Amino acid sequence: MSEPVVRLRGVSKRYGDFTALDAVDLDVAHGEILALLGPNGAGKTTLISIVAGLVRASAGEATVLGRDVVRDYRFTRRAVGLVPQEINFDPFFSVEETLRFQAGYFGVRLADDRLEEILVALDLVGKRHANTRSLSGGMKRRLLIGKALVHEPRVLFLDEPTAGVDVRLRQQLWAYVRLLRSRGTTIVLTTHYLEEAEELADRVAMIDRGRILLVEEKDRLLERQGGKTLRITLAAPLAVLPAGLAALGARLAEGGRAVEVDARPGGSFGPALAAAAEAGFPVGDVETRRASLEDVFVSILGGEAGGDRR
Amino acid sequence: MNGLGFRTLFSKELRRFLRVPGQTLLSPLITTSLYFLVFGWSLGSRIREVDGVPYARFILPGLVMLGVVTNAYLNSASSLFVMKLQGTVVDVLVSPLSYAEILGAFVGAAVARGLLVGGIMWIVGAAFTGFGVAHPALAVLLLLVVAAGFASLGFLTATWAASFEQVNFLPTFVVTPLTFLGGVFYSASMAPPALRWLTQANPIYYLVEALRWSVLGRADAPPVVGFGVAVALAGAALLAAYAVLRSGWRLRG
Repeated sequence: MSEPVVRLRGVSKRYGDFTALDAVDLDVAHGEILALLGPNGAGKTTLISIVAGLVRASAGEATVLGRDVVRDYRFTRRAVGLVPQEINFDPFFSVEETLRFQAGYFGVRLADDRLEEILVALDLVGKRHANTRSLSGGMKRRLLIGKALVHEPRVLFLDEPTAGVDVRLRQQLWAYVRLLRSRGTTIVLTTHYLEEAEELADRVAMIDRGRILLVEEKDRLLERQGGKTLRITLAAPLAVLPAGLAALGARLAEGGRAVEVDARPGGSFGPALAAAAEAGFPVGDVETRRASLEDVFVSILGGEAGGDRR
Repeated sequence: MNGLGFRTLFSKELRRFLRVPGQTLLSPLITTSLYFLVFGWSLGSRIREVDGVPYARFILPGLVMLGVVTNAYLNSASSLFVMKLQGTVVDVLVSPLSYAEILGAFVGAAVARGLLVGGIMWIVGAAFTGFGVAHPALAVLLLLVVAAGFASLGFLTATWAASFEQVNFLPTFVVTPLTFLGGVFYSASMAPPALRWLTQANPIYYLVEALRWSVLGRADAPPVVGFGVAVALAGAALLAAYAVLRSGWRLRG
């Protein structure tokens, strides 16, 4: 990996006796989309808040483009955009004013064409002069994304960006995230929607109890950890699994109406299909399903995914 | 130096209170006018003069001081507290604004509101009592320093506060009683001994007297003490607000 855009070395954060982050090492490469996955309270938000300057680390070092986030905060904060998890809005101002103020804080005069581009991308053109109080929840969340983009950050942190956003808009936001990446923006995404990570991420980092459990390219992870399942739906139910299939580890499902057999990564379903043909039972349908990131996530976290520990 | 960032935050803070002029400018004006009418005119007909100054003219500097102090405090306190409550304080904290720039913008806008309210109150009051000011530059300087001090106290309180009740604690339980017992409506030399002692132990009394001296050219207490109290208060409050902001207490995790 070339010089990472974001680098964390031994970063810890403690709140009294509670350790939110425990000696985390993490590199984020230029131009990638890294999905940070973990259950509630795992430390995802704490981690990105340290890089964005919202939280101070108790120990360790965090850098953005090689500069320390505390010593060189003016430089690193100009390089970072943060879409926080909690929706916020200032009820005194309109969408346009909010975006112009946010750009100003970063020392940037928001050009009209850049403002227009953000409003179009986030489907807020019609709300340009509307008071932020009058926006729907989804619009407020999109405005948060707009605020994080006004200063054209080199690295964008998206903390649960599509929570409460409808399917159509989610697809639109995903397309915009890909567009940003294609323009060279590095993106770190935390999400509860594992399909979102599966759809967007180049690499996945899994975190639990403040520790990074693994960091791996998404495709390789799915290849390595995620096997496939063959499912044969039967035209008539079976009472007993044929011996040839049982020997391959198959099982009956749906009260004998289906046979399922798993293959390890790289494995083949040839022997199972041959055994099914040999058994001669009437086949209704055949399908294979690849393990999702959710399956991998659950298996790595020992089935505790989604549990809130705080 | 993030000059544009500072100017943006300062201008946003100005526009915030100018967006709701009924609440931020008109309301204190009406309250003060009522004080002026009720105390100035009703008591004025009985008291007539204090040390040769018509009573209504005598109380005007104290009312202006009350307006400046309250509005400077409330502007930074309510703005920062609402930003904490709404979560928009994050927008400022993730920006490359320095601590001094953030504090300067909040205090600057609060001072502007305090002086604006104080100025409007003085114009309204002076229309009835006369526009003469003995030391205009010193009057403005004093109000500016006092406003900066109370704006910093408002910033500190909002940083600490977890509820609106806590934001209102200082003006309700400290500033208003101290102002009323600070010689706004009476001269310490006229007061009975217990009230005189209470008045002279009250730092706000010296601020009111210093402004009275700046406007009327006379006062019970030496004006230098009032200017000293103002500078000490502003210096201590600004330094404390800066130190608290820098420490990240209740703002950064």
